Amino acid sequence: MDMYLQLGHGMMGLCRELIGSWGRGCVILSPRDLNENQLETLSTDIRDAGGSVCLDPQFYIPHADHTRLVAHEYWPAEYESADFWSSPALTDFLTCLHGLRSRLQCVRTILPGVLATAADEAWFDKQGRVQVEAERVGIKVERAYATVALSADVVRTVNQVQDVLEEGRGWKVGGVYLVCEPPKGEYLVQDAMWLANVLELAAGFRLQGKRVIIGYCSHQMLAAACCSVKAVGSGTWLNVRSFTPTKFKVPDEEIKRKTTWYYCPQALSEYKLPTLDIAMVQGVLDEMAPPAELGSTYADILFEGVQPSTVTFGEAQAFRHYLQCLYSQSRAARRETFDETIGVQEQMLDDAERLLDRLHEVGVRGQFRDFKECIEGNRAALAVLRTQRGSMLRRRWTSL
Amino acid sequence: MSIDPMWLSGKFPDLKGLGRIGRGGQKWVFGATHQTDGDIVLKLFHPLADPQRAFREVQAASEVQCPRVPRVHEIGNLTSPLGQLIWVREQRIRGEDLRARVTRGALDAKSLMRLALHTLEALVAAEKVRIVHRDVKPDNILQATDGSYWLLDFGLARHLDMDSLTATAAQYGVGTAGYTATEQYRNRKGEIDARADLFSLGVTLYECATGQNPFRVGTTDRMEMQKRIEDRPLQAIACQVDSQGQFKDLVLAMTRVRREQRLPTAAEALEWTREICSAEGVS
Repeated sequence: MDMYLQLGHGMMGLCRELIGSWGRGCVILSPRDLNENQLETLSTDIRDAGGSVCLDPQFYIPHADHTRLVAHEYWPAEYESADFWSSPALTDFLTCLHGLRSRLQCVRTILPGVLATAADEAWFDKQGRVQVEAERVGIKVERAYATVALSADVVRTVNQVQDVLEEGRGWKVGGVYLVCEPPKGEYLVQDAMWLANVLELAAGFRLQGKRVIIGYCSHQMLAAACCSVKAVGSGTWLNVRSFTPTKFKVPDEEIKRKTTWYYCPQALSEYKLPTLDIAMVQGVLDEMAPPAELGSTYADILFEGVQPSTVTFGEAQAFRHYLQCLYSQSRAARRETFDETIGVQEQMLDDAERLLDRLHEVGVRGQFRDFKECIEGNRAALAVLRTQRGSMLRRRWTSL
Repeated sequence: MSIDPMWLSGKFPDLKGLGRIGRGGQKWVFGATHQTDGDIVLKLFHPLADPQRAFREVQAASEVQCPRVPRVHEIGNLTSPLGQLIWVREQRIRGEDLRARVTRGALDAKSLMRLALHTLEALVAAEKVRIVHRDVKPDNILQATDGSYWLLDFGLARHLDMDSLTATAAQYGVGTAGYTATEQYRNRKGEIDARADLFSLGVTLYECATGQNPFRVGTTDRMEMQKRIEDRPLQAIACQVDSQGQFKDLVLAMTRVRREQRLPTAAEALEWTREICSAEGVS
């Protein structure tokens, strides 16, 4: 499983740097965060560094009034839902978007899709119209990804998830860009049913022969490797590690609180630097150092014997570290067989739980980024996947 | 109300040794020997039987061209003292129905694999002509004396390109409780396809592997059976059938409650079964 860089606020330099160091990789460009000139410049830089780009059209909320997003040429000047989907406006929209994508030399085509607050006929109709019209404007639909953006309620509802899969079986697209709103805006989701259904969607689409990219992910979505997804997208701030529809709707908000968090990959948790001070005093800091095989040296300074909060470890280093670790974890997550892959995920949860128990005993907690409360949910979601889809994934694994 | 075999013999002079071998809900069944076709079964549909459904059954059985479905030789109409009858003459397979066989206990591993293989061959042939059997169960599968399996009785078959004969407004669809997939039981017609038959066959295989159908055991209540199907999905078969443990996965993939989670086609189920059988030397 690959990890794509999900572009967000202030990530241009980071993308250049990481793609440069990897010599490969893909950046999911965000029109919300960059104007067209910036998109073109970044695309060139990424491709020059050996990477590739694709464009998330971010048409989740057509009535959005996010200044930079709606300023893009492709964004419809007026949107009346009753007319838009059966009028030349849809053609113009897709033509213009296709033009931008061509200029950016996107390696993958992500078709626009609106956020479903209900997986109903109206939403299915829009999905269908986009695909039909995309084909008419010259997009190779069988190689494109349909955006499947679902509200938390839809994702939580078993029947609606099955309806989406059933409808999706008839789509001509070769892939799905899956974007799932978490319940209650949670960063790490404790709701096992939500996660189980995200995995169900990913597995269902994969077993239909469609490639799957899951957008706006945190490390919690490493579990998606068990569904043989092509990639997860992740980035720096929480609003690119978790899908929050409102960020596309309202004008830019200042990111007010800038706290530096250290990602401890073996605990699947993040910690503020003062918490690492406690870990040092309690003699458990070394256990929180990143394993060398993940290839991140960005946080080494925290483990050199000096009180962590007193060293120079800013948010830029924290982001680099997080993304480097997640990149390596993602690429190591898929194994030869389904059983081996799910076994690795379960082992990872067991290991994280043991470490978290030890850390908690000595007062080291990651607050809302502590994974402890998510472990049972992740285990349950994996168990559901094994029961519901295991037999088919096991059989088809090598061809997925 | 019955048909006199003597009278019937007079109507079918090319049949020798005509004798009654059974009676279904909607038809009389006779055995005989035909001059060129050999052992045959002659089925006469009850004059009160829905002629459209009778015609659909005969049509379905004729269209499904497969060595695992008795061949239809001839179809006709007959005026009898009881009224107008539709009759069909088809290949007779000698053996025992699977219901009787499974009553004596579970099948051995090779028989299970052969049962899956042969029944799926029939279901693939049906899938090719867009026919769903809708009543796959041990009662409608015959174990021939040579150990092969045959799919019988297309009485509830549905041609997906033709109008359904079941009332659209009906709350419940046709089929046998405890074997019927949810979409079929709940009469969601637009959702019925080969996956419904895969579900029923999966339950049948499970029953033949374990000796019982957990959806039916201890109850005769149709609603209770369906509740079990929806609330308690089948677990993996505990006994070892094949050396790689693939067979239990195959049955699980056929019997998921939600059709989107099942094997998508009978063809894919057959391909998988062939691989298992090939590895185990079963044909």
